[in-house]
Amino acid sequence: MGDVLGIVLKRLGLGLITLLVISILIFFAVELLPGDIAEAVLGQGATAENLKAMREQMGLNEPAIVRYLEWLWGAVRGDFGVSLISQRSVADTIGPRFAATLFLACYAAVIAVPVAITLGIIVALLRDSVFDRVANVLTLTSISSPEFFLGYVLVLYLAVKNPLFPALANVNFQDVGTFELYYKTFLPALTMVLVVVAHMMRMTRASIINLLASPYIEMARLKGTPAWKVIVKHALPNAWAPIINVVALNLAYLITGVVLVEVVFVYPGIGQLLVDSVTKRDFPVVQACCLIFAATFILLNLAADVGAILTNPRLRHPK
Amino acid sequence: MNYFVIGYYALLIGASCLAAYYSARTVFLLLFSLTLVSFIVGIVGGESSLWTITICAGLLALFGGTAFAFREFLAIVLPTEASKAIKTAPLTATFGLFVIMTYAIAGIFAPIIAPYGEAEVIAGAFAPADEHMLLGADQLGRDLFSRLVFGARNTVGIALLATTFAFVLGALAGLIAATLGGWFDQLMSRVVDVIMSVPSLIFALLLLSILGTNAFVLIVIIAVIYSPRVFRLTRAVAGNVVVMDYIEAARLRGEGLWYLIRREILPNSTAPLIAEFGLEFCFVFLLVAGLSFLGLGIQPPTADWGSMVRENATLISFGEITPLFPAGAIALLTVAVNFVVDWMLFRSSGLKG
Amino acid sequence: MADEKKDLLLKIRDLRIEGYSDEKWLEIVHGVDLTLHKGEVMGLIGESGAGKSTIGLAAMGFARDGCRISGGSIEFDGMELTTTSESDRRALRGSRIAYVAQSAAASFNPAHKIIDQHTEAPIHYRIRKRLEAQEDAMELYERLRLPNPQEIGFRYPHQVSGGQLQRAMTAMAMACRPDLIIFDEPTTALDVTTQIEVLAAIRDIVEQFNTAAIYITHDLAVVAQMADTIKVLLKGNEVEEADTETMLKSPKEDYTKSLWAVRSFKRPQKSRPGGDAVPVVSVENVDAAYGDTKVLSNVSFDVYAGMTVAVVGESGSGKSTTARCITGLLPPTSGKILMNGVDMPPSYKDRTKEELRKAQMIYQMADTALNPKVRICDIIGRPAQFYMGLRGAALKSRVDELLDLIELEPSKYYNRYPPELSGGQKQRIGIARALAADPTFIICDEVTSALDQLVAEGILKLLDRLQKELNLAYMFITHDLATVRSIADEVVVMKQGEVVEAGPKNEMFTPPHHPYTDLLLSSVPEMDPNWLTTVLEERGVDNIGEAATV
Repeated sequence: MGDVLGIVLKRLGLGLITLLVISILIFFAVELLPGDIAEAVLGQGATAENLKAMREQMGLNEPAIVRYLEWLWGAVRGDFGVSLISQRSVADTIGPRFAATLFLACYAAVIAVPVAITLGIIVALLRDSVFDRVANVLTLTSISSPEFFLGYVLVLYLAVKNPLFPALANVNFQDVGTFELYYKTFLPALTMVLVVVAHMMRMTRASIINLLASPYIEMARLKGTPAWKVIVKHALPNAWAPIINVVALNLAYLITGVVLVEVVFVYPGIGQLLVDSVTKRDFPVVQACCLIFAATFILLNLAADVGAILTNPRLRHPK
Repeated sequence: MNYFVIGYYALLIGASCLAAYYSARTVFLLLFSLTLVSFIVGIVGGESSLWTITICAGLLALFGGTAFAFREFLAIVLPTEASKAIKTAPLTATFGLFVIMTYAIAGIFAPIIAPYGEAEVIAGAFAPADEHMLLGADQLGRDLFSRLVFGARNTVGIALLATTFAFVLGALAGLIAATLGGWFDQLMSRVVDVIMSVPSLIFALLLLSILGTNAFVLIVIIAVIYSPRVFRLTRAVAGNVVVMDYIEAARLRGEGLWYLIRREILPNSTAPLIAEFGLEFCFVFLLVAGLSFLGLGIQPPTADWGSMVRENATLISFGEITPLFPAGAIALLTVAVNFVVDWMLFRSSGLKG
Repeated sequence: MADEKKDLLLKIRDLRIEGYSDEKWLEIVHGVDLTLHKGEVMGLIGESGAGKSTIGLAAMGFARDGCRISGGSIEFDGMELTTTSESDRRALRGSRIAYVAQSAAASFNPAHKIIDQHTEAPIHYRIRKRLEAQEDAMELYERLRLPNPQEIGFRYPHQVSGGQLQRAMTAMAMACRPDLIIFDEPTTALDVTTQIEVLAAIRDIVEQFNTAAIYITHDLAVVAQMADTIKVLLKGNEVEEADTETMLKSPKEDYTKSLWAVRSFKRPQKSRPGGDAVPVVSVENVDAAYGDTKVLSNVSFDVYAGMTVAVVGESGSGKSTTARCITGLLPPTSGKILMNGVDMPPSYKDRTKEELRKAQMIYQMADTALNPKVRICDIIGRPAQFYMGLRGAALKSRVDELLDLIELEPSKYYNRYPPELSGGQKQRIGIARALAADPTFIICDEVTSALDQLVAEGILKLLDRLQKELNLAYMFITHDLATVRSIADEVVVMKQGEVVEAGPKNEMFTPPHHPYTDLLLSSVPEMDPNWLTTVLEERGVDNIGEAATV
């Protein structure tokens, strides 16, 4: 097991370094601004005194490296500075919104993951049949549609023409009951489910077909093992790594693909906040959102890799 | 129960029986599954949902017919080699080709096809469709149809430029990394790992917030964000070629890097690279559309599908279908390209499934 | 005879199998008959694409995905497999008909212990309870002379070596004591010294349990040891069938004769030029490593003009690595490569055009050695253009001359692409490309091992002629001793990155020599059906395992 632990630790270390490099990237990207933040925020009408005051307030007179280290140290403790527009603490602005986004992503994932994996396996077993071809066309169509197209189609048919669900999901988390919450956020969740299920089905199908082509599956069949037992005993124990991979990649997708869906449904999540901040050029908020998205993305990819390492029999039982 | 419903089921069940009788297994399975689905949908959604199914089936038949006719047309027009390939192509692929061709024509001849200019105000805000305006007017009173046609030029044009740029950047770096190996390969791979560990939409938003939004910046940013994907694929494809003995023979002859890439590696990597270009285009196109939809892509008054959806979105709440046209146009092109790529990948891999 | 009828186990008549490619079904086996009696071993032999494996699987009533049995009958012990239900057919697999696959490493499920996979079938068919089945497995492991039979089954497949895994798979096939076992190239992926153990083990166990077997292989010498009768296949058709003795002594069909043709080509052995002749290439005390793994240590030998040095050894012995050191692809960590007495820069990148030109290489797989997207004239013409600066008409006449030299008609092949040529023709193009540089030294890396006997012999004759005409020095990397006998002047034996023994050919083929040379030479199967028995007797059966690990 020491071997596996080493590999996992190495992978974790690599993830940490990547995150560090990205934090550098995110911080210094802002330094690319013509002039500096103060000029960008105050615009052309700014007087010299205004600029000076702002620079002082933001600590811009210090060298970039010092400011980076301060920012990073703050970020580690959950302090991302102060918003340029609202003057509120960035962490306070982001906190509830990030929770809202996570809620939506989990809602979608809980529906999408079991459905997609089941359908993916079924389609893989029925490969080259009519159902497989129909599924191929449908999933391709779903993947190819922009999220806002699916979103608006759902709104048109399930909210406007047949008023089953509310078209907007601008919920206030404090004021709604549990059931109402699920009901109001159903359409955004469904939109994400549609896209993610298509992706996941295709990936699951591909990895299962790949698996079924292994010589050891043929060997199992040639030993007279019944079909269900071939799947359960011989295919499944080797399928964990690809399935974990598929799930993690799609969860990562959920977290980021949520931006467009939030805008369509006016959902108070972190994606909506990011878009607003980009429009208003509120850099501290943009930086914080990007760091959070990147960290989540890296974390999920890391989870996929670690999962694959832990379920690999060759690594679990070293020579 | 009325005549439509009775006719609907009679037709489906009759056709299923016929298919079963002539042992057309595939057709039977399809028709009978549709019958069963109709039972459920009909009970839940009533007659109108059956109408929807009928319309969908009609549309599907129309698409299928178009694709079939277009395939026959191509098979006759194209030279023997290509015509042979086209004959075995699935209908989805020829449908994709047809759509791509239509978009190309619309984009190239936009000023001739569009009845009005792209920023020309000709009616009141949200004026309904009449004999002058095929799809009505948008929120400023501009002809929606004309703007859709111009959008083909602007949105697709930008996506195409960005894809090409990303492709040249990524493919070149990938080929050099695969051929040279060593520190260059290591360095590029690490850089690519970092870029790819930030979600592309987020990265684009970060850079756009700093660099501002204009078409040139947009193209460069997207090219930088998507070139790592091309790099990885090219490196993998070229990596499979580089281990071949004929490359070793050429190296041992003393051939230079450029000769190796141009004469030995590139000719053996074209098929997967072309398919990747199609896929890459889909990603870039969706990203461009998404950014425009968020108001951070192509800026008004340039006609662009993403921003058109955003500008007309309010109409949705009145049950109007208009905002879905630009969104549908985006989806249709992406689907079409994906269909063609799917076929090309199938052909180049030779694998089933 | 009534007796014969009672013994009948498998009767295949007019078997036709189709494969799916390019959206249509194509027949790949065209009406093959096969009759097998109880306890009989039949060898199926043919090149790749002959349909051997497909027929072997069809004997189990099984067709791979993308294949289907389209006609004929398969009768196993009175049961017609083409018409019975899939569940009845499945009930035969593993219990009465078993299968041993080519790659044991890929065919064992990496997620389960070997013994759990072994006992799966007997438990499923309720032949034995789990513990009994495990006891039985250990006994079979012992009979197959696996080390630690009590313990080895409780390991995972990746923890066991290839040769042992192949024997464990044979044991698994035996688990239900089947009437028939299909062996599908069970030793192809193994080294010769490992192969002999596996062959002996398989032959013993099949004899002990009087199991019938179909032994599929492309190696004639192997099948001669294993089979009672041999059936030769070509492109899905039967060529001929006879008992092993007759087949080897007097084959009827031309194709079979060509397969059996013993190397008739042999040239006199040359000895080193006397006096102070400088070797074309000398390898002096070369060490080399991939990363931290040392792969060559202290390798030295010389190659003189007009002579052929054969380098023999198993895979992993360092033969090809030595070649990479000479060409400069893998710079040695210490030691020197001299050409005509001049020290070469260790890496090919630092060598001059002239230095690169003098040493050329011919590869084993002509398919991967020629760029499929480049025309023949450009493949051959490029070195002439690159080194000699030939252009236009001069280049064309040089290419024509080279094509003439390798006995291919210039007008016919000038504008073709490699995929349009046969294996032998491709190999000739590879030779022409090497000659185009006008070299003094050529490395031939297993150049004949992917070719049929007759074609290979043509290539060897061509190489010999060219050597005489152009006074070339060859370094011939091979594992085939017949090739060594026919073409080598000197032999270098390598093992685990070291030279075990070196000297003139006639000395190497006459005892006494180094124990490893002995083991290697005696492990290479020969066409004589009694070869395996004789070797085993010479070594003493019980010593096989030890001998292999020397």
